[in-house]
Amino acid sequence: MIEARGVEKWYPNGFYALRGVDLTVHKGEVVVIMGPSGSGKSTFIRTFNALEDFQKGSIVVDGIALSDDLRQIEAIRREVGMVFQQFNLFPHLTVLENLTLAPVLVRKRARAEVERQALELLERVGIHEQARKYPGQLSGGQQQRVAIARSLCMEPRVMLFDEPTSALDPEMVQEVLEVMQELAREGMTMVVVTHELRFARRVASRVVLMADGVVVEEAPPEQFFTSPRHERSRQFLSQIG
Amino acid sequence: MDTTIRRLRRELFATPLDGLVSIALIALLLAAATAFLRWAFLQAEWAVIQANSTLFAVGRYPLEQQWRLWLLTALLAAATGLSWGLLRGLPHRGRLGRPWPLNDRLAALALATLALVIPAGLGLQPAIQLRWWLLTALLLGVRWAAGRWARLLPPALRRWIPLLWPVLYLLGMVLISGGLGLIQVGPSEWGGLLLTLVQASFAILLCFPLGILLALGRRSELPLLRWGSVLYIEFIRGAPLITLLFLGQNLLGFLLPGGMAPDRVWRAAWVLTLFAAAYVAEAVRAGLAAVPAGQLEAARTLGLPFPQALIHVVLPQALRVALPATVGQFISLLQDTTLLSLIGLLELLGTARAVMANPAFLGRNAEVYLVLAVLFWCCCAALGLGSRALETRLNPYTSTNATTATPAAPAQA
Repeated sequence: MIEARGVEKWYPNGFYALRGVDLTVHKGEVVVIMGPSGSGKSTFIRTFNALEDFQKGSIVVDGIALSDDLRQIEAIRREVGMVFQQFNLFPHLTVLENLTLAPVLVRKRARAEVERQALELLERVGIHEQARKYPGQLSGGQQQRVAIARSLCMEPRVMLFDEPTSALDPEMVQEVLEVMQELAREGMTMVVVTHELRFARRVASRVVLMADGVVVEEAPPEQFFTSPRHERSRQFLSQIG
Repeated sequence: MDTTIRRLRRELFATPLDGLVSIALIALLLAAATAFLRWAFLQAEWAVIQANSTLFAVGRYPLEQQWRLWLLTALLAAATGLSWGLLRGLPHRGRLGRPWPLNDRLAALALATLALVIPAGLGLQPAIQLRWWLLTALLLGVRWAAGRWARLLPPALRRWIPLLWPVLYLLGMVLISGGLGLIQVGPSEWGGLLLTLVQASFAILLCFPLGILLALGRRSELPLLRWGSVLYIEFIRGAPLITLLFLGQNLLGFLLPGGMAPDRVWRAAWVLTLFAAAYVAEAVRAGLAAVPAGQLEAARTLGLPFPQALIHVVLPQALRVALPATVGQFISLLQDTTLLSLIGLLELLGTARAVMANPAFLGRNAEVYLVLAVLFWCCCAALGLGSRALETRLNPYTSTNATTATPAAPAQA
């Protein structure tokens, strides 16, 4: 589904964000990327839908190679959903309008049909009674669940999560993780950047540890958490554990 | 009544010093008011206004064609009443419409009083006084009807209501200048308030989209577009309007395609437009800067092409932020039209100066300038009120307690 090979990204000031990262994500897999801050994990998943460019290497998403061609980028973005740390809901639109905007404009679907689907999705994430409210009237956890529903409404084939719970108050983390877990159970292909150990342990097919712009270790969760092979992984786990 | 007095006492005379300041200020106000009233009723001679009221209103617009302007005014009054009533009467963002809130009653009362007092006070001809009363009655009548029956309007039609204004504008231009079977009345025959409003409305309507384009250009990634916009904005903002007006009279004939600025009036209108666009661009740029980068990212991530992301996600938020500054710009634009008198156009100020130059009205400057000031104040107040109504309607946060706003998303490395 996603195939990244030797991805390198550097800034004009000479700072290397990514130093040749490889990652393959198969259909239906849940890949959790962990690592200390500044390790390049957010930057890396943001290259998958061209929110960040990269200078070297190749990324193929759902059979489409990322290039500078805007039409290909837009084709990829239609198939790749993304959930941000800061939710990034559209504050001037109601919850329902947040969900229906893209399917109606981009997929050219009938509004009534999209609204029906949107209400179903909102019910699935447990906030259908808030459909006519504005994002500013919801709690952080509710907003993030709306953001997930908004992505799902485009019927993506892959979902990217960029630290989805980092901006939430502790008591709201669980409700968002539950939605994500449910999504994984239904077979959605997911790439998740997170610090939530329990989520990684329970849901991940593989855990990837990144540090200083490279992949340090890639392993199934049991192995990663109980007997990591690399010194850097042990160090990281001791820091957050 | 008792509580009012007690409140006044608490607010104005809480401490001896407060009391002293209050008494001094009240005395000052009373003195100023009496002096003014004494002047207005004993010394001022309003004949200068009575004799020239048509000149102030429309300049040398041919008398037998002036029904077109009355018709336009009536249409404007009806449209204003309709928009006002619908704005209040329609349910909005989950809140039920209230047909007649207290503020509106007060505004209607003030409007009706003014319509009765001002034409009578100026001693206009009875026929014209009657017309102003009828116009006010029309406005308030439509306002009442629209507020009352707003809810019966089919939702499919509601979206098209704002279109009424551009249509009315085009119709108004036809009514003013002729065409479609009406006799042509050229710009050289327009004057007074009519010319002021034509100039200001033309410039306001065009400078807004132009300003948005310039602001987008200034933030564009294409270097040529960006530097072009910066150069334009900074050049215009660095030059006094009066210079540009003179420059435009000489230069615009060459710059714009033939027919777009055939005479002095249209050339001046274009200069005003191009001038205001630079300032609107800066207001819009500030609005764009206030929209978190994550908004565009989220829209793009959902597959929206850039233009659609701009139109549906970024601009609605940016323009809401930019609205107060933009309206401030519109208001100063309206006032800047007085500079047109310096290039020889007979808009309000130009007409006033022509009137004052007439030996028959020698020394009546104060009366004329006062009327001018009040007229401008009315126009600006209308603009301000309209924008405030728009602002509250556009703002989704009013009367809800926002728990979490979406803060700017820092790009994480």
